Amino acid sequence: MAMAAFRREGRRLLLSPVSYNSSFAARSAILSYSELGPMGARSISTQAVRNRMKSVKNIQKITKAMKMVAASKLRSVQVRTENSRGFWQPFTALLGDNPSVDVKKNVIVTITSDKGLCGGINSTSVRVSKALYKLTSGPEKETKYVVLGEKGKVQLARDSKNSIEMNITELQKNPLNYTQVSVLADDILKNVEYDALRIIYNKYQSVVSFLPTVSTILSPETVEKESEAGGKLGILDSYEIEGGDTKAEVLQNLAEFQFSCVLFNASLENACSEMGARMSAMDSSSRNAGEMLDRLTLTYNRTRQASITTELIEIISGASALTGFSQSARATDNIQYRRYACMIKLQS
Amino acid sequence: MASTAAAVPFWRAAGMTYITYSNICASLVRGCLKEPYRSDAGAREKVHFAVSKWANGKPEKSSIRSDSHSE
Repeated sequence: MAMAAFRREGRRLLLSPVSYNSSFAARSAILSYSELGPMGARSISTQAVRNRMKSVKNIQKITKAMKMVAASKLRSVQVRTENSRGFWQPFTALLGDNPSVDVKKNVIVTITSDKGLCGGINSTSVRVSKALYKLTSGPEKETKYVVLGEKGKVQLARDSKNSIEMNITELQKNPLNYTQVSVLADDILKNVEYDALRIIYNKYQSVVSFLPTVSTILSPETVEKESEAGGKLGILDSYEIEGGDTKAEVLQNLAEFQFSCVLFNASLENACSEMGARMSAMDSSSRNAGEMLDRLTLTYNRTRQASITTELIEIISGASALTGFSQSARATDNIQYRRYACMIKLQS
Repeated sequence: MASTAAAVPFWRAAGMTYITYSNICASLVRGCLKEPYRSDAGAREKVHFAVSKWANGKPEKSSIRSDSHSE
């Protein structure tokens, strides 16, 4: 927000010296920082431009530092994310992935970040959640949200606050570990009735690309129902179960464990995407700040030179009033001509 | 509760989910480690998050789960 305002201000400063000769008086309404006498008098102040340059430079330093921090955090989370992908692969190999399953009670778990300045990943997650909500709602069907992260809560509470079941924040206070996520998963499972859980997160492909992804986890009863339809779930009966558990028992344990593992992987992937998005956002804002600084420097120099020119003109006109007329006229014209020619060259 | 043909495991009968059961087993295993590895593993056990349920479109007071899960 602040950067956009700065860009607009920078462009306004750029416009004013171009036509400063004739229409400075007209623009005086916009330029509130300089005191203007008639026809571009000497009191153009460079102080305001200098202040703006200083603040833009500070912003550039801060955003560069944030990019470095995000890059270093990214490196450590990335390794853990890639290692955690092995958690859900056996589950998908056994139970398959059924995103298009049609059930009565859907719970959408949206994973977002707590902190901002990370580009558009939270908005994409929320958009996908809302689309999924529309897809899964219908007569006799019930869809609820469980939101992880502050940013998602704010966005979803704007228009879907009656469908939010729970909201979890402060998840990243300690580095993410499986114990924490599994306690969280346990909390969710205890408080929410579901036939299918859909977890929405940004999967980390590379530093610049994050894919919004949906992972579906079915409750044991739904698995039973779907196994009649055949496919991967249909051949579950051909497995032999060791120990004293029944198939229902095993499915129950598996469902809980699957949710916990998939949630762990999803939160790691989302954290990775958050760091990557923050890196690119901070990088582009440092670049914008640099460009703005260049433009402001040009404006500053031009303003400075214009004020020097006007001072010289005044001195020489004053001197001419005392000595002859023609000598001073030629000198003034010469200086004026040269200065304006320079300015025109700078502008083109 | 345990009167079906297949016996319900003791932890399920006590009201624990599989996740709780496996977390307890994991902390027991971590407790068996010797010193430098023990503190490293302790770092993997930290739990902290703030949970708040919503009712009628309004969040209720959030409760912070900040235990280190070591039952």
